Amino acid sequence: MRDDPMAHALPWLKPALGRLPEKPVVLRVSGLTKWFGDVCVLDRVDFEMREGEVVGLIGPGGAGKTVFVKICCGLMDPDGGQIEILGENLLELKEKQRQRLRERIGLVFQNYALFDFMTVGDNVAFPMKQRGGATLAEIEAKVQERLTEVDLPKVRHLMPNELSGGMKKRVGLARANINDPELIFFDDPTAGLDPVTSSKIFNLIRKTQAHRNSTCLVISHDIDRMRPACDRYILLYEARVHFAGTEAEAMAATDPIVREFFRKEAGLK
Amino acid sequence: MNPIAAVGRMFLSVSDTVGGITLTLARILRAASRLRFDRDETWLNLYKVGVKSYPIVIMTAIFTGAIMVIQSGQYVKQTGATGLLGWGAGYAVLAEVGPVLIGLMFSGRVGANNTAELGTMKVTEQIDALRALAIDPMQHLVVPRFLAMVVMLLLLTALGDLFALVGGALTSQFILDVDWRVFFNGVFNSQLLDEYLVGLTKGVTFGASISVVSCFYGLGVSGGAAGVGRAVNNCVVTSAIGIFVWDYIITYLAN
Ligand SMILES: Nc1ncnc2c1ncn2[C@@H]1O[C@H](COP(=O)(O)OP(=O)(O)O)[C@@H](O)[C@H]1O
Ligand SMILES: [Mg+2]
Repeated sequence: MRDDPMAHALPWLKPALGRLPEKPVVLRVSGLTKWFGDVCVLDRVDFEMREGEVVGLIGPGGAGKTVFVKICCGLMDPDGGQIEILGENLLELKEKQRQRLRERIGLVFQNYALFDFMTVGDNVAFPMKQRGGATLAEIEAKVQERLTEVDLPKVRHLMPNELSGGMKKRVGLARANINDPELIFFDDPTAGLDPVTSSKIFNLIRKTQAHRNSTCLVISHDIDRMRPACDRYILLYEARVHFAGTEAEAMAATDPIVREFFRKEAGLK
Repeated sequence: MNPIAAVGRMFLSVSDTVGGITLTLARILRAASRLRFDRDETWLNLYKVGVKSYPIVIMTAIFTGAIMVIQSGQYVKQTGATGLLGWGAGYAVLAEVGPVLIGLMFSGRVGANNTAELGTMKVTEQIDALRALAIDPMQHLVVPRFLAMVVMLLLLTALGDLFALVGGALTSQFILDVDWRVFFNGVFNSQLLDEYLVGLTKGVTFGASISVVSCFYGLGVSGGAAGVGRAVNNCVVTSAIGIFVWDYIITYLAN
């Protein structure tokens, strides 16, 4: 699964390998704070991700996971803190420079955010067309490839409103992936999907990650199915990072919330 | 509520709106002047805006011309000054009534539609999705719509004026029994080119103000479907106010 053969041979080593220190930092967030009115949604959040890691971001609904991801993409501004992403200081960039940075970042929206005035095929092709430098035939081929990856080879001529929620989700996944981004945020990529497709999606995330050595942050509630995809987890709870570490560390933790969260989720099997 | 606070709040909200609209205009002009906008989208919008509005604009125009002729008809009949019919109706239509009514129709048809469209994109995160895909909504959505609306309202005003005259001529022929050639003679002999150009200038400013206002409200939507409804409402009201304010300013400057 991983490009590192050792990880295959010794699965219990995998979490540790995921945190090898020599890999460059792709995303470093420090002291991130966000208020909506007088509600503090993110409270001095610190977080770090290295190249090639897949990190699971978990937490109860309303914990600020989506807000966190949007801030990291520069779609929303925080009230405090620092964000270093792909070697740039995000908060010091102008919109134009952020735009160039976003060409290297993929985002799968929790609520799909497909363009409802375009067909599915055009949605997936859109970022590639806008970037330019590819022929129509190349774009067509890549769109077909990406849609096939998410198990939707036959929907390209439909409009988004003709799809089910789970199908839209997968189209969003294909669209976010089309330009081979270095860093991808998946905001609940398997919400509304059946267990079989969910597992497939997590496998796909891991596979594409290994194939391109991209870095992924995956938000999900489905700890059981995301387990094969994630190197480690962070738990957002009441606006703070309540826990960061591997699954084994979570299981060994004495903190009742961490234990309960992981157990409860695991207990849903 | 304390009446002074209410006045203050209203004043703040008006300055908020005017400031926001001015800022939107500045950003549009900056992007447009650097030729940073999506050409395909612009063509598409020119087509959409034009095709969507020309039937209703022609209808409005024909009736406007006809009404003007009927209004002045009595006096013309009484005095027998049929030559004045073309002048009276032409003057009113070209300089004033034509552009304003066409502008109001346009704002209801195209402006409201634009606000609803952008607002829906905003609440369904499609605007965020554009940004996340490294595309500037200004260049991709807003500037093309601005250009399309300005150009199309200019063309529609030019076209509508002609149809208004046709409507006037038909009415004078069939209702007032004044020969249509007499009507057109009246129009062309009274040197109304200036009025026509003033009317077209109004068309351009109305187009610009409707598009900026509708984009401002569309992109500013928050709070789901209800928010889109409120924004469309605000857009129509503010566009109408904008039309009358610009009408006043240009009429004042032109005289
Ligand atoms: N645009 C917004 N305006 C006001 N409050 C918001 C906004 N977006 C999110 N919130 C609030 O921030 C909190 C975190 O939201 P979110 O990040 O979507 O949670 P989740 O962890 O489920 O993704 C919620 O309480 C939500 O009400
Ligand atoms: Mg969320």
